Amino acid sequence: MIITTLGATVKRAAKRFLSSLPALFGVLVFTFLLMRVLPGDPAVFFASGPNAGKAEIELIRKQMGLDKPVPQQLVYYLYDLGRGNLGNSIMTGQSVTKDLRDRLPASLELTFSALLIALVFAIPLGVLAALRPGSLIDHGIRLFCALGVCVPTFVSGLLLIYVFYYLLGIAPDPTGRIDIFTSLPPSRTGFLLVDFLLAGDVSGWWGAFKQLILPAVTMALFVIAPLARITRASMLVSLGSDFVRTARSVGLSWWRIVVTYALRNAILPVITIAGIVFSTMLGANVLVEKVFSWPGVASYALDALLSSDYAPVQGFVLLMASIFVIVNLVIDVLYGIADPRVSVG
Amino acid sequence: MRVRDCKPLLGLVAAVALLLAAAPVKAQTRAETLRYVTGASVNTLDPNVPGSTREAFAVSLSTYDRLVSFGRKQLNGKWVFDLDKITGELAESYEVSPDGMKLTFHLRKDAKFQDGTPVTAEDVKWSLDRAVTAPVLGKAQLLTGSLTSADQFKVIDPLTFEVTLPKPDKLALPNLATVYPIIINSKLAKANATPEDPWAINWLKEHAVGSGAYIIESFKPGEQVIMKRNEAWNRGTAEKAAFFKRVIVQSVPEPATRANLVERGDADLVIDLQASDVQSLEAKGTLKVISTPQYNALTFISMNNRIPPFDNVNVRRAIAYALPYDDMFKAALFGRGTPLFGAEWPDGQPTSGAYPIAQPVKLDLEKARGFLKAAGMPDGFSTTFSFNVGQASTAEPMSALVKESLAKINIKVDIQKMPDAQMSTQINEKKLPFFTEGIVAWLPSTDYFYRNFYIGDQRWNYSSINDPELTAIAQEARFEPDKAKYEQDGKKLNAIHFAEMPQIPLWQPSQDAVMALSVEGYTYQFHRQVDYRDLSRK
Repeated sequence: MIITTLGATVKRAAKRFLSSLPALFGVLVFTFLLMRVLPGDPAVFFASGPNAGKAEIELIRKQMGLDKPVPQQLVYYLYDLGRGNLGNSIMTGQSVTKDLRDRLPASLELTFSALLIALVFAIPLGVLAALRPGSLIDHGIRLFCALGVCVPTFVSGLLLIYVFYYLLGIAPDPTGRIDIFTSLPPSRTGFLLVDFLLAGDVSGWWGAFKQLILPAVTMALFVIAPLARITRASMLVSLGSDFVRTARSVGLSWWRIVVTYALRNAILPVITIAGIVFSTMLGANVLVEKVFSWPGVASYALDALLSSDYAPVQGFVLLMASIFVIVNLVIDVLYGIADPRVSVG
Repeated sequence: MRVRDCKPLLGLVAAVALLLAAAPVKAQTRAETLRYVTGASVNTLDPNVPGSTREAFAVSLSTYDRLVSFGRKQLNGKWVFDLDKITGELAESYEVSPDGMKLTFHLRKDAKFQDGTPVTAEDVKWSLDRAVTAPVLGKAQLLTGSLTSADQFKVIDPLTFEVTLPKPDKLALPNLATVYPIIINSKLAKANATPEDPWAINWLKEHAVGSGAYIIESFKPGEQVIMKRNEAWNRGTAEKAAFFKRVIVQSVPEPATRANLVERGDADLVIDLQASDVQSLEAKGTLKVISTPQYNALTFISMNNRIPPFDNVNVRRAIAYALPYDDMFKAALFGRGTPLFGAEWPDGQPTSGAYPIAQPVKLDLEKARGFLKAAGMPDGFSTTFSFNVGQASTAEPMSALVKESLAKINIKVDIQKMPDAQMSTQINEKKLPFFTEGIVAWLPSTDYFYRNFYIGDQRWNYSSINDPELTAIAQEARFEPDKAKYEQDGKKLNAIHFAEMPQIPLWQPSQDAVMALSVEGYTYQFHRQVDYRDLSRK
């Protein structure tokens, strides 16, 4: 029974994935055209040496394939894409595929950690607020959430750096994923926390963890609010429902009522929001990445955009769109686990 | 569960043991390591690749040798590069023939590439051939020194190399000391060349195969470069290897973080902090701050001399007298630099033939109104003033002041802040009427500035000026051997500049190098980056 459900889920998930391919293609073509419509000629920008003239500009234009008409460029791009080649970045001098492969784990690791921290704080806070609506605790939590959302991430990031690195000296210098003097573990997953564990290097793991904690908290602060608010709202509905009243009347333990019955029923909207928050964070954490010199995809894409380096921007948008599709799928599957009545369709 | 518990514990014990063992070694290497942080990044190991960044130039200075290099001199108590003193790098000595048409280089007998093979004249020939024939950046640069064709380079014997010039060009030799004409290990490069890429441009982007002072240990484009010392290198001024055993070049995009790092002693050197941070760090006195006016660079307010109303010289003059120079200088740079305004020219003639020269202009709204009336526009006009995002920290406060001041003479200004790529495109297409930009010359001589920035229908001629007299004098001055005559030519050019006012020189911003007290030997270089070979720790 379980296996058949699982099989069906996978089948439906695959079907759903296939149906999202046209959308991905649309995003692809749209970004491609958008980049070329935007003012700003990358060739001119990159040919900015003290002596670069027309010849250099032409050279770079040719190197980027911009000397051909746009439809032809698009065909070439799609052809390359079909062979897994996203083009080359002039900014880093590398292939975009390699850049993204190197940088995506950094962004993912940061986002996952931030989301985890956010959930760990937001759900209990939301539940607490829902248990005593209108009380001092509720208002306190509301204030905390409001502050988290109000303060832009680069401000809270710089503030955390100032306190923990500059004043107290507890945090390591905020420059990337690992102390510059530490050697990297052999790359297996790209997630440093996992790779260090696999390599059995505990001090390395601790180093990477210390580097990660400030940026993760910075990002988490920003997203605790929506998560806590939605938890509170859906907990309120759930706590006021008939089944909780019944559970109370039969004298079930407090823990069981709140966690097993109320929270489990309230969790669906939280998962939805968490999924959306995750996707947004991954793309929008550019400020955090900049402040902490985190070598992630978002800051990469921003730099590329500023210098009109087409291939990285296109690659980034494609990547984000694919991740969005995958996250949505995962959420749908999680729905099924949280609430067996829901099925991926 | 229990078995799994053991693993981290064992790991912990091992880690502690490792830490204890490694700690003293680490402390020692920290003093011998230079950690340099920057907002930019290194994107290639070959500075010739189109699109390579200034940080990439700096790295290539340390990984490759050139035939010759610039000496250094003291300017107002600070070390700067010296264009007039060219010393051998891979060349032990060089001779210039009496007619100035032939340069002969004698290579060092002991010079070896980083793979241990000797540097020969064949390598020099291949490398310079590449710089003038391959589609690389070196081509346009070497052109300015009359180095244009592979036929000019000749191997006499394995240690002697000859360059022939079509005319005695005084910039030929200095050009060989610039960033691009690196001497590459030609055997390795050729072995990795392909039919489509005979000059191994793609391969050299990722591999540094030179004879330089530092060997690349790891290169992560856009993040960091770690280099270790080449113990065999002896081309430094003191005839010994470089001081630091290791150099780390790390990208830290946030300027406030860079300031924190250097203040806490985690970074040793940074040259691109915000002026306000430099100000406060200097006041604290716990760091060394060396501010050198970038005497080969300057910032302008440019006007497109072909777009009305800026095609009228009186409009340009009106603007020149309506700018609040002192306030702009303070707001944009906190006064950190050399002003190019407010000079006194006693008889109305330039006091020197050097470029840039401080202009005899200052804020004088009455005069500005007079010029505007003479231009037939007493009621003013509307225009846009553009700057790029990359310069926002200095250009933004400045443009607000420009707008405010010009409003007083009825010129209405709309400020446009543009992404860098968009701005350079618009400049290249000559579409911007009024904007601020900077220029830099590696080999800053008066004729070079005028030839590159005031002539022709090309991007660097920001003002799009087309003045036949200026063009003729500048072209002639290039090959003028007589110093007194050259000075006269320079004065003439400066006089034309002031009369025509194609664009308004504002200032030469300072390069603020902030470093740990222990770091010594910092020298301001023509490429405006740090030459890591100059540095040591006391």
